[in-house]
Amino acid sequence: MERRIKNHPILDFEEKGYVTIYFEGIPIKAKENETIASALIANGFDIFGFTEKGRPRGFFCAIGKCSSCLVVVDGVPNVRACMTKVRDGMKVERQVGRGKPTWTEPE
Amino acid sequence: MDRARVKAQLLVVGGGPAGLTGAIAAAENGVDVLVVDEGLEPGGQLVKQTHKFFGHQGFYASKRGFEIAKILKDKVKNLGIKVMSQTTLVGFYDDCAVAYDRENNRTIEIDYDYVLLATGASERFLIFKNNMLPGVYGAGAVQTLMNQYGVLPGEDFLIVGAGNIGLIVAYQIMQAGGNVRAIVEISDKVGGYEVHANKVKRMGIPILLRHTIVEAIGKGRVKGAVIARVDENYRIIEETKREIVVDTICLAVGLQPSVELANQLKVELVYIPELGGYIPRRDENMRTSASNVFVAGDLAAIEEATSAMAEGYIAGYAIAQDITGKDLSKEMERYREELNDLRRGPFGEKIRKGLRKMGIDVPSGGYREENQKDFGPVGKLRAVIECYQNIPCNPCEAVCPTNAIDTGGNINGIPHINYEKCVGCAMCVMKCPGLAIFMVQEFDEYSVVGIPYEFEPLPEKGQKVILMDRGGKEVGEGVVHRVMVNKKDKTHVVFVAMERGLERTVRHFRLPTREEEKIVCRCEEVTREDVEKAIDMGFTDFEELRRYLRIGMGPCGGRTCRLLAAGILARKLGKSIEEISPMTLRPPSIPLPFSAILRGDEK
Repeated sequence: MERRIKNHPILDFEEKGYVTIYFEGIPIKAKENETIASALIANGFDIFGFTEKGRPRGFFCAIGKCSSCLVVVDGVPNVRACMTKVRDGMKVERQVGRGKPTWTEPE
Repeated sequence: MDRARVKAQLLVVGGGPAGLTGAIAAAENGVDVLVVDEGLEPGGQLVKQTHKFFGHQGFYASKRGFEIAKILKDKVKNLGIKVMSQTTLVGFYDDCAVAYDRENNRTIEIDYDYVLLATGASERFLIFKNNMLPGVYGAGAVQTLMNQYGVLPGEDFLIVGAGNIGLIVAYQIMQAGGNVRAIVEISDKVGGYEVHANKVKRMGIPILLRHTIVEAIGKGRVKGAVIARVDENYRIIEETKREIVVDTICLAVGLQPSVELANQLKVELVYIPELGGYIPRRDENMRTSASNVFVAGDLAAIEEATSAMAEGYIAGYAIAQDITGKDLSKEMERYREELNDLRRGPFGEKIRKGLRKMGIDVPSGGYREENQKDFGPVGKLRAVIECYQNIPCNPCEAVCPTNAIDTGGNINGIPHINYEKCVGCAMCVMKCPGLAIFMVQEFDEYSVVGIPYEFEPLPEKGQKVILMDRGGKEVGEGVVHRVMVNKKDKTHVVFVAMERGLERTVRHFRLPTREEEKIVCRCEEVTREDVEKAIDMGFTDFEELRRYLRIGMGPCGGRTCRLLAAGILARKLGKSIEEISPMTLRPPSIPLPFSAILRGDEK
């Protein structure tokens, strides 16, 4: 399911600069200047994670305020999908509940 | 983790309209400013606003939000203001402010003398069954997705709330190619501007007053919604519940100021529902209870981006005055006047009431309230203005090359047009942010209406269109007479010729869609309308119809269409099917490879 707008009467959306990110292991095409959230929605993925009680969770506000879109990025949980730019090769997983915290010792 | 410590005389938190104008006003007066902004790029919510803004011509009116964002960003750049993007101010501590830069995974400690909080607002959530289902989104979220990233998250939308945001987002979903099935509004009237409501009504989108959402239907993804009427106490009337098929639900039920950082700075918060809930108390120069902390924009009160910009300027000048000792009272006065005009009308009543609770008085009234009754001289090409609410806006007056339009001395006044001066140029139609001005001209046999049009594709001269009235009802067919392409502003004017008399009712049109065509001949895609038209033109024999339309000449040899076409012909001619002669049926009776037709010795 591709949900990118092809023709718009006011805006021009450039058709260039794609990268590949992996969502739950599935390679998806993302525009290099977009967020994880818009790439997921554009490719038909509406479920970004599950709550502690197993409820499917999608995004809600898209501007970094509601923390509904938390995903695990390259192993790091609690990343806001709506505020984080995609990067080629990025691995995004659905977060379950509060996510498993990671801790690296300060150098 | 990388760390850095930086210094600024003024720390601006939030790079939206309020933060950027505040930064500009302060930097223009020599203040060293640092803007910290969460977004991928500064501009805040302006970057997703594709509609033209109301307000004063000269103070960003009739410009689209994303264009204003660009103007502000260019100013910020030219002034050399430091902007940290993708950086969130996470806390204010006794000795410094702390921000996190997620692009570089870096913590930044900031020393500052003054701070301008322009943290904006967040969308309100609403309680109903299954409301956490993916596909239930904030209306602003859908706007971000479609206008900033070019992604439309569904096909069929339900909007909850008929305030300006709900109405604008509905219109923009249609522009992006989606369908809005309905807008439900729990109160008994549309909260947003009438001109915004009219734009969606004339497209046929129902605005259901005294209705609300009861339930989102679906598992894992929205598949529909249950809506219902409410009684005078806003309780759901059970027997009015009904399902509608939608795949996305947009909540446009208001915003709440983001007060977290204000609270950390220990400024006094007050609860004023008219201004959006808990907000920082502040004076008319946007100074809070802490003398070095200022606020502006939606954090100060939920309002329009235009007022956010005026507040940003005031705060920026007030801070610059403190730091530099310059007298900037004139500059501040100018923007206070701008704010007064934005809040003077009936839509400013709530804000005025809220501000009064903080001891800030805003004048009201002092503008023209009478509507123009006159429809203008019949036969003359002229503009007709359908703007009947006192909203602060004057681009029509400013753009008119012959000074035919005036708002009566204040931008909140109802615009009137002097038909003797109007030359029919349609500049006002292209400029009006409310798309509330139309062109009209009557001829002996027909009339022409010029309609502001912001959709894809743009029709061409001679194309047939379906005419719609102010309520979106289809009232007939018209033909495109002329198209004025507006490359710069993108509000084109499409002149449509129609039956005389319809010029007073038709305010929109749509192009016929393939889905509504009724096919008779599958091979050649001949519609019932094509057949009927051909018969009306005088092709009253099957053989003639076939040669004219190619009906029955496709690969099926007429098996699908023959009887249907004969039926139409018989009905139109008032004959029985027996009286219609069948067409000549030639070989081959099925599609064949060419080699099958050749004799063995032919090459």
